[in-house]
Amino acid sequence: MTDHQLTVTVAKDLADLIPVFFENRKKEIASLRAALATGNFEQLRQLGHRMKGVGNSYGFAAISDIGKRVEDGAKVADKAGINACVGEYANYLSKVQVVYE
Amino acid sequence: MNDRAAAQAAYRVLVVDDDPDMVGFLALMLQREGMSVETAGDGQSALMKVMTSPPDLILLDVMMPGVSGFDVCRQLKGDESTALIPIVLVTALEDTESRVRGIEAGADDFLSKPVKREELIARVKTLRRLHDTRKELESRRLAAEVQRKEAIRKAFSRYISPRLADRIADAAGEHGDPFQGRAQRTSLVALFADLRGFTRLTEQNEVGAVVGMLNEYFAVLTEAAYQHDGTIFNMAGDSLLVGFNVPFPQPDAAERAWRTALEMVARFEPVAAAWQARHGLAVGVGIGICTGEAIIGNVGSTHYANYTIIGNPVNIAARLMQMAAAGEVLVCGPVYDRIRHLLPAERVEGRGDVTLRGKAEPIPVYAVRAGTRAPA
Repeated sequence: MTDHQLTVTVAKDLADLIPVFFENRKKEIASLRAALATGNFEQLRQLGHRMKGVGNSYGFAAISDIGKRVEDGAKVADKAGINACVGEYANYLSKVQVVYE
Repeated sequence: MNDRAAAQAAYRVLVVDDDPDMVGFLALMLQREGMSVETAGDGQSALMKVMTSPPDLILLDVMMPGVSGFDVCRQLKGDESTALIPIVLVTALEDTESRVRGIEAGADDFLSKPVKREELIARVKTLRRLHDTRKELESRRLAAEVQRKEAIRKAFSRYISPRLADRIADAAGEHGDPFQGRAQRTSLVALFADLRGFTRLTEQNEVGAVVGMLNEYFAVLTEAAYQHDGTIFNMAGDSLLVGFNVPFPQPDAAERAWRTALEMVARFEPVAAAWQARHGLAVGVGIGICTGEAIIGNVGSTHYANYTIIGNPVNIAARLMQMAAAGEVLVCGPVYDRIRHLLPAERVEGRGDVTLRGKAEPIPVYAVRAGTRAPA
């Protein structure tokens, strides 16, 4: 597991978008788990690709990092690896603190 | 809103991404720069939005369900009406192959995900500057084109009708100057008009008065020719040569020639009446019309040339004009066949087959009384 920065500094002008951003991340966890359960690697690849693009755009480098690993794991059908990533993702989302500046 | 903000608000960006968080982020960044943002969540919606209201710039995600960003880009760049809209592909695809696909689809630039806001703004501003410069150059080119056409129109409008001058100005942009082409043989209708009583007019009046009267006479005839889109090829002494079906096709050339003749006679009648009252002169217009194959083109030397028509129908029209009395129009057989439905029978007189001066074969000639006064 990668040690992620659990306090993230986000630009103040993004503050209004952050609550919806986190709601969508939680839905993403559910989607990842559902896709894992059915072995839908194409969907896992798409979800990982999306996490990779959006995460660090908002300043959350960890989300982009985990997303890349999910995308790469999906390409080789690495179910165990992806499962670990999803756990790491859920843990990160439950602990991350946002500071605006 | 200050001027700068107002100008930037006019710059419209369409953000296309199936991830609402990405759409929200990109839209916010652009709005902070004073730009107007519209959004679409998939490729098909994006295409619809561009067709109904073309933006100034498109930020386009690549990996979307359904129509991909590559497909949207390819379609827009393949359509003449949208090809110039700059497209930035926003992608988390890092491989060279994806970039090449984007270039092949016609993308103007790329932006990598995760998106760095400084890079986003810098790229959008650069494309905006290019877009504005392109627009400026295009508007200058259009202004120059309008100016050039106006100059052509002005130059030719002394010789041909304003409507024909417009057509020549338009054609000059597409096919080159129609007056610069090589001489060619073509079917045309020639109308010759001259002034009956001109010799006496010159004998009885001072030079200045004669010129003034000729100007008045030619003004009347020219207006009549232009009204029916005739082209004036020659003006000499008191005679005027007008061509139809040249330089542009006129399927109703014979009818136009006839209406021009009627108009010339009718318009000149009040002038002739005024001259008679003022100078005691009996004058009127005599007209000959004939149709056939003739040569049209520039004839002369490198120092002096005329854009003119030469050939049998022109010669016959000249001979018929010489035979025509004041207020009378003489036409050859083929012209008569084309316009007979327009002629009141009581005004037409068949002259039978006439051997014209300089011609071996006789031709059928018809005389039509065009004026309200009896032929002089």
